[in-house]
Amino acid sequence: MFKKLKFFNWGKSQRESSAEDNLPDLFRYKYSCFKMLLDSNAELLNVMSDLEEKLLGQQVFGMSYVRSRSAKAVFHALRMIKNLDDLSGHRYSLLFDTLEKINLKIKEILGRKKEISISELILPYSAIKAEMTDWVGGKNANLGEIHSRVGLPIPCGFAITTRAFETFLLNSALFDEISSKKMSIDPDNPGTIKTISDDIRQLIISANVPAEIEDSILLAYSKLAGDTSSVKIPESSLRISMRSSAVGEDSELSFAGQYLSRLNVPQEHIIRTYKEIVASLYTPRAITYRLNKGIRDEDIAMSVACLQMVESVVSGVMYSKNPLNMLEENIIITAVWGLGPYAVEGVITPDSYTVGKNGQTISSDISRKTVQLISKPDGGVTEIPVADDLWDKPCLSPENIAVLAGCARKLEDHYGCPQDIEWAIDSSGKIFILQSRSLRAEDSGKIYPVLPVLTGYPLLIEKGVSVSGGVGFGPAFHVSSDEDLLNFPDGAVLVARHSSPKLVMVMKKTSAIVTDTGNIAGHMATLAREFAVPTIVSTDVATSVIHEGMEVTVDAYSGRVYQGKVPELEAYQITGEFPMKDTPVYSVLREVTDLIVPLYLLDPRSPDFAPPFCRTLHDICRLVHEFSYTEMFKLSDLVSDKRGLAFKLKDFTPLDLYVIDLGSGLTENNLNLNCISPDKIASVPFNALLKGLLNKDFQQNQCRPVEFKGFLSVMREQMITPPSTAERFGDRSYAIISDKYLNFSSRVGYHYSIVDSYCSRTVNMNYITFSFKGGAADDVRRNRRVRTIARILQSLDFAADVIGDRVSARYQKHEIHLIEDKLDIIGRLLQFTRQMDMLMTNEASIEVLAENFLKENYNLEKIFFGK
Amino acid sequence: MKNISLLLVDDEDDFRTTLANRLKRRNLDVTDAGSGEEAIEIIGQKSFDVAIVDIKMPGMDGIETLRRIRKIDPLLEVILLTGHASVEAGIEGIKSGAYDYVIKPCNVNDLMDKVEDAFRRRMIEKGRAQEK
Repeated sequence: MFKKLKFFNWGKSQRESSAEDNLPDLFRYKYSCFKMLLDSNAELLNVMSDLEEKLLGQQVFGMSYVRSRSAKAVFHALRMIKNLDDLSGHRYSLLFDTLEKINLKIKEILGRKKEISISELILPYSAIKAEMTDWVGGKNANLGEIHSRVGLPIPCGFAITTRAFETFLLNSALFDEISSKKMSIDPDNPGTIKTISDDIRQLIISANVPAEIEDSILLAYSKLAGDTSSVKIPESSLRISMRSSAVGEDSELSFAGQYLSRLNVPQEHIIRTYKEIVASLYTPRAITYRLNKGIRDEDIAMSVACLQMVESVVSGVMYSKNPLNMLEENIIITAVWGLGPYAVEGVITPDSYTVGKNGQTISSDISRKTVQLISKPDGGVTEIPVADDLWDKPCLSPENIAVLAGCARKLEDHYGCPQDIEWAIDSSGKIFILQSRSLRAEDSGKIYPVLPVLTGYPLLIEKGVSVSGGVGFGPAFHVSSDEDLLNFPDGAVLVARHSSPKLVMVMKKTSAIVTDTGNIAGHMATLAREFAVPTIVSTDVATSVIHEGMEVTVDAYSGRVYQGKVPELEAYQITGEFPMKDTPVYSVLREVTDLIVPLYLLDPRSPDFAPPFCRTLHDICRLVHEFSYTEMFKLSDLVSDKRGLAFKLKDFTPLDLYVIDLGSGLTENNLNLNCISPDKIASVPFNALLKGLLNKDFQQNQCRPVEFKGFLSVMREQMITPPSTAERFGDRSYAIISDKYLNFSSRVGYHYSIVDSYCSRTVNMNYITFSFKGGAADDVRRNRRVRTIARILQSLDFAADVIGDRVSARYQKHEIHLIEDKLDIIGRLLQFTRQMDMLMTNEASIEVLAENFLKENYNLEKIFFGK
Repeated sequence: MKNISLLLVDDEDDFRTTLANRLKRRNLDVTDAGSGEEAIEIIGQKSFDVAIVDIKMPGMDGIETLRRIRKIDPLLEVILLTGHASVEAGIEGIKSGAYDYVIKPCNVNDLMDKVEDAFRRRMIEKGRAQEK
């Protein structure tokens, strides 16, 4: 049962002193509780500062971050309460309920989670509609829609549903392993992301796909081989393309190129490829992307599109509107020879056609295409040279263009918004739609400013293709390997030969991107627009004219790059504030953090400083921490009348000092001695205090002069105060120590002082609490003395309070060497106070004594009597 | 400190055997069990001071084992072990009366300290219970 506590309980707890005979064990036990409490206190504070940082919205995180940090915060709050409750002999059990109330609220917020459910492992496209996104992912849903409702040709095939994914991964032990690995990702350290990504993908690829899934996939494949109506293909030779179709993809967010797709997969590799695609949920760039976009990992599911392989002669991408100016009614088509990946991966610059509403070509930009991608006979794809005579030939005939433009219009009409479409044409000239999705609506209605060429600045690039508008400035950083991405500096301008979706890993850091090749329809371009990174591609010369480290200004509205800073363009610069604040995961973090971080219990002396008034985990943490000091202070109350369990400190004249070791506080096991010398002390805080207590400046003036009036005052008080009510303490001093801990209580005459300190490498755990009370002489003098002490402590950066004749001070969360320095000074202060008792004759003496102490003039005779 | 009698419950045979041997070398009286069910049976026959219980076990998991142990002997201190940091399990564990929660692999000296602290708690709680 919780009772209202006195802040400092100077008496002893009767129950404890009578119940436990084995005092050293009791001390060790209490100390172990206290250590665990401090440990959890430090952990909880770390979590809170981490959460606060994330709330700025500039760092990226996902739902698993919010979950893991909330759980960690609750765990450590719970562990603190448990240990305070143990430490105090169960006087704080009420706090468990307080915590549980807060925990339930946190759980409720975190529990609002999306559910997925479907019973089929495989679905044919004839059965798939757009609204089935949750079961088959965006890409599959759109393919089903195009096939069944729009009536445009897609390759034959089937979808492996999210039900299969759930069975394989989500509901298996595998997912637990993945989740626990994910917990240790440091989102701002690409190194940890890569290591953990490798681990997780290895886990998935080496796992076994359950037999029911494997059977269903292979059965669907066999049916597909029999079903490919036009020509009967022998079962074993049918190749399929397997494409990732993640849930959430192609809807609000574009996952351009984030997940694996494989072309030309032979039967024997289907299952392995399935696992590889599932594993691609955890590539470094996919993890980074989800973190960037605040997508909850639990809401991600991978479906796979399995389509008969189209051996395309020409392939490419088209936009039903110009993404840079959607007010323009033109269709943009890009095309390459061979298979599609080269149209989007930025390896070669494709042909680009601008097509009017009526299907007529308005302009065409035919590039030189020296290489192409084709299927290999044994599976997979390979690059081959393009026949010389086709290098500079347009890939598309006017007829092709007209048909493609017709498809684009049909798709835009069906979906009611501009579309981003992948297509292929096979050797018979048949056109297939491979995917269609909404073109990012963000740019619609926005017309980029047309900026003039500015003279007076060296123009490095005159005409690149602008794929994401904006102005960026920074030092150039060349990227040619994954390692370069890991080392990419904040605020630099990324310069690379090819555009690549891999660059998403640094899109948060880069102020602009400039590449030699690439095109407006590339994956990277989509990503750059999403991240609002000013980006220019197809400059041909970026890597040769922009040198490493050179400061450049990128005008991505006009496709120009200037050397140096161009102040005229600054107004157009994108500030680069990361849009984390608009994501659903951010609002969950906001709500949860409100129950963790704010501190409402500010004043330990307020009547509200009690369990029922705790509203947040921080309140609990503060309360428990405060009460734990009080509990540890009381250790010394348990010891004062016990004999024979402490070692007397040898050759220590100022005080009759006994030492109790809680563990590792002494350099050797002293069990058989009853006396130890100060050089055997291994306790860091005790050694620091001893240094002050043994300061040589105090050795010479052991005999203090007692000013006559002061002496009379002592005498009078002793005569008029009945012994029973006088706060007469024992005459021993105790140091309860461990390697990092000290509880030093000194009862000398009428003085009672306690120094309690923890001194470790964890700055957050370190503290000194110091309390000084009592003393002979009248109230006025006693109060003057504690005010002197408070004045001194405040000058030493302690927080100090005076109430009556007691001063309480605290110094906390400082480096180990600072704690040691302060303990040394406290040691000296204790010596100093012993001598100054009788000198508090007037208000001025407060200043004089404090000032002299701080100047390290410890000789009171000299100070007051000029000797 | 008196000879502490300890029950070690973990389904991973290698880990359990190695840890049991190490703790025996530090003069603990160690009994081991390969499952929660086995642990409950053993506790019915012999009294222990401290139990170390792995959270993730097939059949009766560590949390359930902890709850049953505390039902049989409310003063038996249980230290939970876990292979990976599932903090939620730690929360459940402490709520259900676990002494503390340790992530494995763990330093045997640290674990030994924890066992001694748990034992002290048992002695103190015992004294407290007798006083009432």
